[in-house]
Amino acid sequence: MFEKILVANRGEIAVRIIRACKELNVRTVAIYSEADANSMHVQMADEAICIGKSPASESYLRIDRIVSAAEITDVDAIHPGYGFLAENAHFADVCESCNIRFIGPNSRAMSALEDKAVSRALAKKADVPTPPGSEGVVDTEQDALAVAKKIGYPVMIKAIAGGGGRGMRVAHNDISLVKGFHTARTEAEKAFGNSGVYIEKFIENPHHIEFQILGDNRGNIIHLGERDCSIQRRNQKLVEESPSPLLENPKYKKLREKMGKAAIRIAKEANYTNAGTVEFIVDQAGNFFFLEVNKRIQVEHPVTEEVTGIDMVRYQIMLAMGEPLRLSQSDVQLKGHAIECRINAEDPFDDFRPSPGRIEMYYQPGGHGVRVDTHAYAGYTMPPYYDSMLGKLITFGKDRREAMDRMSRALSEYMITGIKTTIAFQQSILQDPNFRRGVYSTSFIEQLLSRQFPAQ
Amino acid sequence: MDLKDIKAIIDLMKKNSVSEFELEKQDFKIRLKRGMSGGGGSVGNYEEAVALNYAQAMNAPPPAVTVAAPALPPGIPELDIKSPMIGTFYRSPSPESAPYIEVGVEVNPETVVCIIEAMKVMNEIKAEAKGVITQVMVENAKPVEFGQPLFKIRPN
Repeated sequence: MFEKILVANRGEIAVRIIRACKELNVRTVAIYSEADANSMHVQMADEAICIGKSPASESYLRIDRIVSAAEITDVDAIHPGYGFLAENAHFADVCESCNIRFIGPNSRAMSALEDKAVSRALAKKADVPTPPGSEGVVDTEQDALAVAKKIGYPVMIKAIAGGGGRGMRVAHNDISLVKGFHTARTEAEKAFGNSGVYIEKFIENPHHIEFQILGDNRGNIIHLGERDCSIQRRNQKLVEESPSPLLENPKYKKLREKMGKAAIRIAKEANYTNAGTVEFIVDQAGNFFFLEVNKRIQVEHPVTEEVTGIDMVRYQIMLAMGEPLRLSQSDVQLKGHAIECRINAEDPFDDFRPSPGRIEMYYQPGGHGVRVDTHAYAGYTMPPYYDSMLGKLITFGKDRREAMDRMSRALSEYMITGIKTTIAFQQSILQDPNFRRGVYSTSFIEQLLSRQFPAQ
Repeated sequence: MDLKDIKAIIDLMKKNSVSEFELEKQDFKIRLKRGMSGGGGSVGNYEEAVALNYAQAMNAPPPAVTVAAPALPPGIPELDIKSPMIGTFYRSPSPESAPYIEVGVEVNPETVVCIIEAMKVMNEIKAEAKGVITQVMVENAKPVEFGQPLFKIRPN
């Protein structure tokens, strides 16, 4: 049993991890930058260590400082959360070499899935369909043009080291391909320190459907069903739900089983352990294609927790301790319906400009079937240095209709002053007739915005 | 407001025998207090509390200045030597050696004042200021975090 865990993250996920630790009677250490001195995760943890100045590059991304903090507090394990160093294989290695357990996939799985191009090749080996595209990294514009000619426009240029929806560009013809190819490489070098790009067929208006997987260190891997994350703005997810309304359509009933099995095949091929998510896109004809594996706990994990009753962060900790899975695929039942809305400190009326600052009044929704995962409180100052998410609102119902009605009711209960939030925008999504019908794709938000703000 | 301005305010306080000064503006707040502590002798101990508060206030209070009763002879503000890293604080280069510095010792920017050990590496920490050490803030072999005050120094 771990006695003490260091939480190498901040904000709502740090609070989430501390909660799971408390329920397991494990002591917690919070790390924080100077900007986060008054953050909720610092208050909740048993111990807290300041690790640097506000920018992430001087604090939450500093492997040396985080490991030093872990040493002086004598922890058994580190939970990396999501983002920051969660998928950094070097960080995982440093932890292991200092005898600190890394709560996440093993290093081998991390290398096997180290970038998107390598993951694509692995998926092919596991006999899982991938979007038509380049065999690996595309090095020259000639190669790029050749790939595009073979698979046909439109195509997507993607950074192999990209993640979280960043580092992607669409091209509709040779001219925009060449331009996009060079720009994408420069941007990727700057943002991810790796200029490698690959090319995939751009599948228009797909559903983004991902499968949650859990694996132990004995090779047992199961999936916990899917989440539909098609509601995105500029590749950033805004609303997620489980089950996917598309897969509930009788026409696509077999898809869930096929995709679930494909997800497990990929995980087994990579010798995956702990929690992860296999991402797919599904086109209008019901064909599914592998995109990538997210080797971490994800923002939208509560949606799966609500429909399966499984505490995923708790499982992550138990699996990291070497516990066996003790769950077979048939033990996993999806009951009811859950929806999550991400609440961001952004002004939807001003092109979603971030709105950091002091929260004056804060009242959050409650009641049956309502869950709020947040680090916000009245008097808390949202710092400008990190992402703008101030929390997640999750509702659960016996069916999709109940979950949606509850979400609308809950959204209307929020009272937040001092900063701008996207709550009103989320409400407009929940009221949209197509969303209510469950008929949407990744172009949904763009279409909604062009209706709401026609001038743009 | 930077250190130069603070020193100017302190000089004004000395000149006019002011012992307490407080100023609140739109984006910061400062409070300076001079006091005498400890025993007699020709050199007294002066303590000043400096609180700088940067608030992101939407409705800022109007500027306010309060002046209190006259008091004490002039003093120089003390500064903290803060930890630049996380690790374990050691006063000496090794368990058998004498500490690098003690209270009352004069240091210059290059003087090594302590060791902070992190991940089995002993890092020599320099004073990065010129002056006299007035206080040791951390016990030997205790853990320290980023920004934690290690010593107080009176610059000269």
